[in-house]
Amino acid sequence: MKKFRIGVIVAYLILAIFAIITVYPFIYMILGGLMSFQETTKIPPTLWPSKPQWSNYARVFAQAPFARYFFNTLLTASVTTIVSLFNSLLGAFAMVNLRFKGKGIVQVVLLSLLMVPGEAIIFTNYNTIAQLGLLNTYIGLVLPFLTSIFYMYYLQSYFGSISPTIYKASMIDGASDWEYIWKILVPMSRGGLFTVGLLSFISGWNSFLWPLLVTNEDSMRLLNNGLTAFASDAGSETQLQLAAATLTVLPILILYFIFRKQIIRGVVRNDLKG
Amino acid sequence: MKQNQTKAWLFLAPTLFFVTFFSIYPILRAFVMSFQSGSLISLSWNGLGNYQYIFSDPEFWLAIKNTLLYALISVPVALAISVMLAWLIFSKVKHKSLFETTFFMPYVTSTIAIGIVFRYIFNGEYGMLNFILRAFHLPAPNWIDDPSMSLTTIILFGIWTSLAFNIVILMGALRNIDPNYYTIADMYGANSREKFWRITMPQLVPTLAFLLTMNIIAAFKIYTSVYALFNGQAGVGNSASTAVFYIYNKFQIVGTPGVAMAATVVLFLIILFVTFLQRKMMKKIGGQ
Amino acid sequence: MNNEKFVEVKNLRKVYDNGYEAIKNVSFSVKKGDLVCLLGPSGCGKTTILNMLAGLLFPTSGDILFDGKSVVKTEPKDRQIGYVFQNYALYPHMTVLQNVMFPLTVGKNKKSKEEAEKVARKYMDLTQITEFANQKPGSLSGGQQQRVAIARALVQEPKILLMDEPLSNLDARLRLKIREEIRALVKKVGITTLFVTHDQEEALSIGDEIILFNDGVIQQDDLGQNFYLEPNNYFVANFVGNPVIDNFKVEIKDGKVIGSDFELNLDDFDNSRFKREISDGQYILSVRPENIQPDENGHFEAEIKDVELIGRERILKFDHEAVQTRSLVNLEVPIKAGDKVALKMRLDRVFLFTPEGERVY
Repeated sequence: MKKFRIGVIVAYLILAIFAIITVYPFIYMILGGLMSFQETTKIPPTLWPSKPQWSNYARVFAQAPFARYFFNTLLTASVTTIVSLFNSLLGAFAMVNLRFKGKGIVQVVLLSLLMVPGEAIIFTNYNTIAQLGLLNTYIGLVLPFLTSIFYMYYLQSYFGSISPTIYKASMIDGASDWEYIWKILVPMSRGGLFTVGLLSFISGWNSFLWPLLVTNEDSMRLLNNGLTAFASDAGSETQLQLAAATLTVLPILILYFIFRKQIIRGVVRNDLKG
Repeated sequence: MKQNQTKAWLFLAPTLFFVTFFSIYPILRAFVMSFQSGSLISLSWNGLGNYQYIFSDPEFWLAIKNTLLYALISVPVALAISVMLAWLIFSKVKHKSLFETTFFMPYVTSTIAIGIVFRYIFNGEYGMLNFILRAFHLPAPNWIDDPSMSLTTIILFGIWTSLAFNIVILMGALRNIDPNYYTIADMYGANSREKFWRITMPQLVPTLAFLLTMNIIAAFKIYTSVYALFNGQAGVGNSASTAVFYIYNKFQIVGTPGVAMAATVVLFLIILFVTFLQRKMMKKIGGQ
Repeated sequence: MNNEKFVEVKNLRKVYDNGYEAIKNVSFSVKKGDLVCLLGPSGCGKTTILNMLAGLLFPTSGDILFDGKSVVKTEPKDRQIGYVFQNYALYPHMTVLQNVMFPLTVGKNKKSKEEAEKVARKYMDLTQITEFANQKPGSLSGGQQQRVAIARALVQEPKILLMDEPLSNLDARLRLKIREEIRALVKKVGITTLFVTHDQEEALSIGDEIILFNDGVIQQDDLGQNFYLEPNNYFVANFVGNPVIDNFKVEIKDGKVIGSDFELNLDDFDNSRFKREISDGQYILSVRPENIQPDENGHFEAEIKDVELIGRERILKFDHEAVQTRSLVNLEVPIKAGDKVALKMRLDRVFLFTPEGERVY
């Protein structure tokens, strides 16, 4: 019994150490963003700002158009999420519920494309966008991401778990496919769609390499690109960089704490497909 | 039934449109471009020239070496730590979801933003890491500014970022193990260590194989975290260049898209090979 | 109006994409207002037929006529059918009322909300589910869900009702109750109904007529009692009947029927029941267990291995040629396990089949 208890204490100790390692950067980011420059570079490091410097945020907004970055990021992340969800939804419905010639081939092609790393196609996609004259535009930012094979595949497995007789029943009840999708499939898959939407929005929010390629005007930048540019420009002003980083991370962190169950469940379900 | 056919293609049309133009076409285009030289607007046939170029380019080999080292060190270490933490959460403590929520945070947050934060934690003079190291009288290297440390720094950050996904997936797998196995083991008087090695580990093998390949593939694509840690550079003097850095550099900065695409094709083939190995491995495990 | 052949299936054939021939040249017809059971073991093709009738599957060849008109090219929603699925296929996110109303709120037959609710409520009254109107299907028992499914199938006032194993998800007791209710209900509504089941007892009790399938072929299309009294072939004789029929391998030679331990005279058989002239050779003699009775002048003798009580009757079990064989006797017959008994077959009730299964007597 005693041995058992020591085991539990050791377990808590190890977990606590790693939990601190995991959480510390976030705490340091948030608190550091409220410190004065002297405090952030003090030896030994300070943990708590003696007086929160809210003015740091005012200076961040004054030095770089973070409001604009926010708007750009929110817009592109929302548009990609909504449109790609819509397209994946229709595609997944067709793949699950309709019978047609060539379905097997479509499935094989999509599954093989799932293995193609985004980094391998991002540069040629840049080329396409450049040729279309869409650099530094919102359309250019979102266009290649308006459908997602990955989310379509996810929805396929989700829809596949709904009994096929539900679709048959709706056919006999006289519903068109369009009515089936909106009156039955979508309400029945609300949880799955919501999770996919969340994951898609988060990855849109955190996107970096693509917007780095297709935008170079400050007014078109997304948060992460604005943040790196700001980090270079702000040079040694550590506290401002940390404040800017907080601005980028905090919205997603809040979203995460509200919907942590759905997000974690979605990720686990996504990736245990083997 | 004819009508059904048209309908199906209509529903698939948006997806197929975007997939064709932004997934299939760019792959083919990348492949073709890897045999071409010149700038984006004036490409000309170059045969295997680009491949010859990258294979004799020390920068390319440095990038590949760094990428490989990063993958081979950070992935197994992160996986081992993840298994330990997941097992401890699963078997030893209450508040499982509290720990799970905590450990998953890095997964949803921007690598760029957290990378900037780490830049200061790793700072040689006033960084928290060196403060702690000094407190224990350990050597306190200059993590960011010393070229010989760059790769180590990236690996440490890489481990920190990849724990989140691993732990959550492993927790999912642990929850899927039939609790009756443990009940029976208890009846036969198995201790905690025996239960872990004789029941848990064998059950986790498919998940571990999956995570191993997912992590290796992700490691081959490392870019963003390096960018964030070293403020847009690949470490001091390009000491921490990686495959994607090399591609980006050749494509955007140097302006030789053919060379970049040749490197892309090589990277793509490596990733395909890893995926192929995973399939094989999964089949073997599944067949047992 | 074609009342005799309200539903008519002609030379229907279905070959699946993988080459499996599920239905081989099937033809039958159903009278208006009848309740017909499609009976057969699992995998016999009965659900395939139902799906083709509903338009959920496309036949490889052949024709389906409803009221004299071919519907093969008609969409399911335009066939004026109702369908009750084995798992009910209720929409889990809608209330009972919304489920029943759903067919009236979509597609071409869309009605105003008030009108749709009025019709829905009428059928909910009929199936006695009004009290659950605002509950979700998930909170209902199997039997209640079943009724919701039926109400939803009837709400469009279809001409034909198709039911696919609608009782198989219910427990035994409820099954008996609901099947009576279903029969009463469809008779009250007067709708022509096709009812798929693998349970012979269910088919016998509910159907005006039964069509028995096996291997994608109709084995017998008849009134219920005839499956029992006059089976078409060896398969039917063995499929229908509980306890199952007893089979004896026999050889017919020189006017005698020779089993392993009995010998019968062909002259003792009922001459009028021979289907055709029979030649000497190997046959199977099949006897319903109630037609083998203990009798002093028995055809053969057997040692009773076990006695099983089933309600008013008892089954005597004995081995014949190492195969378990049964005799169904009255409760009062004082025989117990271990007794040696002489047994006699009622030759005017037995059947003779060729080894291929053709019935000759």
